[in-house]
Amino acid sequence: MDPPLVNEASFTAAANPSSYSLAGLLSFPTSGGSGGGGDLGLRMGSLGLAGGDDLEESTVTEQSRSRYENGGGKRKRVAGNCFIDGSSKLASSSSADQDLNKSNIKRAKPSGSVHESGGSRTEAEANSGTNIKPVEEKSKPEPPKDYIHVRARRGQATDSHSLAERARREKISERMKILQDLVPGCNKVIGKALVLDEIINYVQSLQHQVEFLSMKLEAVNSRVTPAIEGFPSKDLTPATFDANGMVYGSQTPREYARGLQTEWLHMQIGSGFERGT
Amino acid sequence: MKTPTNPSSIKTRFAIKFLQAMKKLNKKRSSSPSMADKQRRCRLIRAAACASMASAVGTRRAWSRAVLRKTVNNHQYHSVINNRRRITRRKRVVMMRRGNPREGHSGNLGEEDDILRGLVPGGEGMDFCRLLSETAHYVKCLRAQIQVMTNILDHYST
Repeated sequence: MDPPLVNEASFTAAANPSSYSLAGLLSFPTSGGSGGGGDLGLRMGSLGLAGGDDLEESTVTEQSRSRYENGGGKRKRVAGNCFIDGSSKLASSSSADQDLNKSNIKRAKPSGSVHESGGSRTEAEANSGTNIKPVEEKSKPEPPKDYIHVRARRGQATDSHSLAERARREKISERMKILQDLVPGCNKVIGKALVLDEIINYVQSLQHQVEFLSMKLEAVNSRVTPAIEGFPSKDLTPATFDANGMVYGSQTPREYARGLQTEWLHMQIGSGFERGT
Repeated sequence: MKTPTNPSSIKTRFAIKFLQAMKKLNKKRSSSPSMADKQRRCRLIRAAACASMASAVGTRRAWSRAVLRKTVNNHQYHSVINNRRRITRRKRVVMMRRGNPREGHSGNLGEEDDILRGLVPGGEGMDFCRLLSETAHYVKCLRAQIQVMTNILDHYST
C-alpha cells in the first residue's frame, strides 16, 4: 500500500474529529460516506486491521516529511532575515515596510509547513475539499514549537560574534572569580588589572617559597638520608600504595634527575661556549 | 607528618615522588660540597619538586604537561643540539604569540597577561580563558606542594 492511498483514506477519516486514532480508522467505513473517499474507505476496510499499521507508518513518514519541510522553511527564514537586514541598510525602505515584511515572515513561518505541504498536495486537494483540515490539524502542534525554536535561534543567527564574545567574557569573569577566591586578599581588589597583578604576585611568591623550601631541604637533606630511606613505607602510606607509588614514580624521577643533570651539564657547556666565542 | 586519609590525593602522590627523587639525588651526592655544588643541588631539588608535582597531577592539565614535556626533552636532547633546538623553540613560541588573534581581545591587560603566561608553565600560546583556569589549578598545586615540602622539612629538621 502506498502513502497517497492512505492519505486519501485519512482525509475522509478526518470528517471525524479524532482523525488519526486507530479507533477512528476502524469506525470509518461506516461514517465515511462522502464522495469518492468512500470507495477508498471501503478498500481500506477490506484490508482490515493490517491497514492500521500501515496507516501509522504513513503518518510517521508524513511527519518526517513535514519536519523536513519545516527545515526548508527555517532555511528560508534565515534568508528572509538576511533580506531584512540588507533592506534595513538601505535607506530607501521605510520602517513600516520593514515591519510589514517582518510580520509577514513571522506569520508565514509557523504556517510555512502548511503552505508547502499544501503546495505538494494540490492534486489531492483537487480530489476532495476536506483535504486541508487533517493536514492543518496535524501540523498545528508542531508550528508553535518550531516558532519558538526558530526565535531562540534568531539572536544567535543575527550576531553570533557578540554572543560568542559574551560567552567568553562570562567564562573569563567566572574564572577570575575562582582565582580571586584562591588568592588571599584578592577579594577586596576591584579591577581586572589589579586582580591580575595580585594573582601574579601570589604565584611569584609561591614559586619563591618553593625555591626557598628546596634550598632548606638541600641543607637538611645531607643529614637525613637514612630517614628518607625509611620514610615512605613507615610514615606516609600503607604498604600497598607504597608499592603502587614505586611503580608509578620509578620512571619519572629517575628520568628527570638524569635530565636535570644533563641540563646542568649543558648549561655549563653553553656558558663555556658563550665565553669562548 | 600524619598518615594521610586519602592515599591517592595529589599531596600524597607528590610526597612519594618527591621523596624518591630526593633519595636518588642523595645517592649522587659528592662528599665535599662546594658552593656551586650546593646551588646545583638546590636547583635540582627545586626542579624535582616541580616535576614530581607535575607527574602527580598527571597529563590532565596543560601546565603539568608542559613541565613533563620539558623534563623529557631535557633528558632526550642534551649537549649543543639541545641548545640550538631550544632557541628555535623559543622563537616559534614568540611567533605563535604574535600571531595569536586573541591578543587584541584583552585590551590593556596585555602586560599582566604576558607576565602570567611567563609564570604558568606552558602558558605561552594559551588563550586567556584557558590561562586563567590553568593558573587556578597551578596555584592550588603550588600550595599543596609548599605544604608538603614544609611538612617534610619540619619532619627532618626536628
